[in-house]
Amino acid sequence: MAEFNRLVARYPEGKQKSALLPALHLAQDTFGGWLSSETMDYVASLLHIEPIEVYEVATFYSMYNLKPVGKYLFEVCHTGPCMLNGSDNIIDYIKEKLGIKVGETTADGMFTLKTVECLGACGYAPMMQMGKTYREHLTKEKVDAIIAECRNNAVVKN
Amino acid sequence: MGRKLLLEKAHVENIRLYDVYRREGGYRSVEKALKTMAPDAVTEEVKKSGLRGRGGAGFPAGMKWSFLAKPEGVPRYLVVNADESEPGTFKDRYLMEFLPHLLIEGMIVSSYALGSNNSYIYIRGEYAWIVDILEKAITEAKQNGWLGKNILGSGFDCDIHVQRGAGAYICGEETALIESLEGKRGNPRIKPPFPAVKGVWGCPTVVNNVETIAAVVPIINEGGDEYAKIGVGKSTGTKLISACGNINKPGVYEIDMTISVEDFIYSDEWCGGIANGKKLKACIPGGSSVPILPANLLLKTAKGETRYMNYESLSDGGFASGSMMGSGGFIVLDEDQCIVRNTYSLARFYRHESCGQCSPCREGTGWMEKILWRLENGEGKMSDIDLLWDIQRKIEGNTICPLGDAAAWPVAAAIRHFRDEFEWHVNHAQEAQVRNFGLGHYADEIHIPVST
Ligand SMILES: Cc1cc2nc3c(=O)[nH]c(=O)nc-3n(C[C@H](O)[C@H](O)[C@H](O)COP(=O)(O)O)c2cc1C
Ligand code: SF4
Ligand code: FES
Repeated sequence: MAEFNRLVARYPEGKQKSALLPALHLAQDTFGGWLSSETMDYVASLLHIEPIEVYEVATFYSMYNLKPVGKYLFEVCHTGPCMLNGSDNIIDYIKEKLGIKVGETTADGMFTLKTVECLGACGYAPMMQMGKTYREHLTKEKVDAIIAECRNNAVVKN
Repeated sequence: MGRKLLLEKAHVENIRLYDVYRREGGYRSVEKALKTMAPDAVTEEVKKSGLRGRGGAGFPAGMKWSFLAKPEGVPRYLVVNADESEPGTFKDRYLMEFLPHLLIEGMIVSSYALGSNNSYIYIRGEYAWIVDILEKAITEAKQNGWLGKNILGSGFDCDIHVQRGAGAYICGEETALIESLEGKRGNPRIKPPFPAVKGVWGCPTVVNNVETIAAVVPIINEGGDEYAKIGVGKSTGTKLISACGNINKPGVYEIDMTISVEDFIYSDEWCGGIANGKKLKACIPGGSSVPILPANLLLKTAKGETRYMNYESLSDGGFASGSMMGSGGFIVLDEDQCIVRNTYSLARFYRHESCGQCSPCREGTGWMEKILWRLENGEGKMSDIDLLWDIQRKIEGNTICPLGDAAAWPVAAAIRHFRDEFEWHVNHAQEAQVRNFGLGHYADEIHIPVST
């Protein structure tokens, strides 16, 4: 809540709706990596706005997940410059390795694979976003290592 | 080696930290401006510098500032555009990641000139770790008296806030950005009114790119006239170029705009040549929205003159045979790259990013993606190429914001310059599934003027 109040304090009096995007990021991070309608209603009540105003925004922006996602979300860029550097091969490799298609989550709830548009890392292609960080210059070996690292972290945390 | 005004200190160890940045001469421009200059005098220096907006449109920054309305008793805002989502562009990220204090410093001086007591950085949501870097820099600046109330005893108050976007290219368009900052969908507004009169929360607002605001620092330190001496013609100062694609040394380079495109690609100081010893086929020199050029027209203009890395030279020949500086996202394609496939990928991007408000953009981008997919996957017809041409023409100039044009131009240029490769995809549909068209004649010297 302290974090939420800090967000609202950035804007002029009565303009608390401006905190909606950051508030949704915070909510998504806090409540399992996605936005359920309960979560969105809660955000609406905190900002004293209508739930529909929250839904409108949540559906517009691609970073808000409106469905549950795995513990680790792989968002691989497939736009032009990354494609020139073999992003399609990386996507195929991840699909094969995890046994899922783009948009799916592994049965154990560990991994979700998404394709996304340019993330501003075109010079370090191919690349993907994982949580708050970018993983760049991807190769098959690097993908293997990242998957192993995630599995490891999951074990350590449990 | 050209002069570096922005990235000169990028490699100094720990330059991200306030103490190091200050020791290296940081925040001098704030001292100079707040202690010795009136706000209008700062704007005047920026005008003299000839600095053009680095976000893509190249509009003179000083002129934009002088349009800002100043009604009595109404707050004014400076908003820095750090949405950086144009494919091929990653320069602002580099600047913010390595030199966060340079942006903060530029923002304080610019806020002083504009009279903005609360300034915002709107940053694309995916740059989450950079938000932390910026917030740390803001805290340090505040602790050291560069932000907050009565800065340096000048009576000027200023605070800086960082707002994260959430994944939408369109929020880089300035009116969509303002909507998004207000907590809404990023639907561009109809202009006028312009943000200079009615921007964020209905107040006069200036939106500038990260690099534009950072450039204010050397302009104030050295004076607008000195800055204007660097470069050539209306391309004054230095420009950050983010280079990517099939080159040996992708990365962010600060250039003075007098070097040739050929040098930029082949010199070890910059791109270091085409990767894996291949040949240059084509290039999109200013971010995905600008026209793609075949190798021959990239290195030389249609008149056979050397092409340079500046606003005027890159656009020499108009859309018939030139391109644009755009955002400085320099995308290089080698001889093995397929133009149809590349165009398809960009069309998919624009369809995904269209906000959907205007039908030519919403429907047109969808159609272009579908047709390009067909061509790329061996299901295209010859008439599809003309259909694509018609669709892009119907989008261009018929939409609320320039995203429509940005979607149309890459398709138009691809067909204009690479029509034989599109036709080959139709006539050799089977073959096109297993091999690429290759270099074709796209690097050959041009003897006849190209037609439109
Ligand atoms: C679809 C679209 C996307 C844009 N994206 C960006 C962007 O990511 N960053 C940026 O600085 N300008 C972007 N612009 C340009 C802005 O609208 C605006 O012109 C710019 O921020 C002004 O700053 P400048 O004058 O300093 O360049 C975009 C424009 C359009 C139409
Ligand atoms: S041109 Fe496209 S992105 Fe721009 S307002 Fe119209 S529909 Fe939206
Ligand atoms: S195209 Fe993938 S990060 Fe830009």
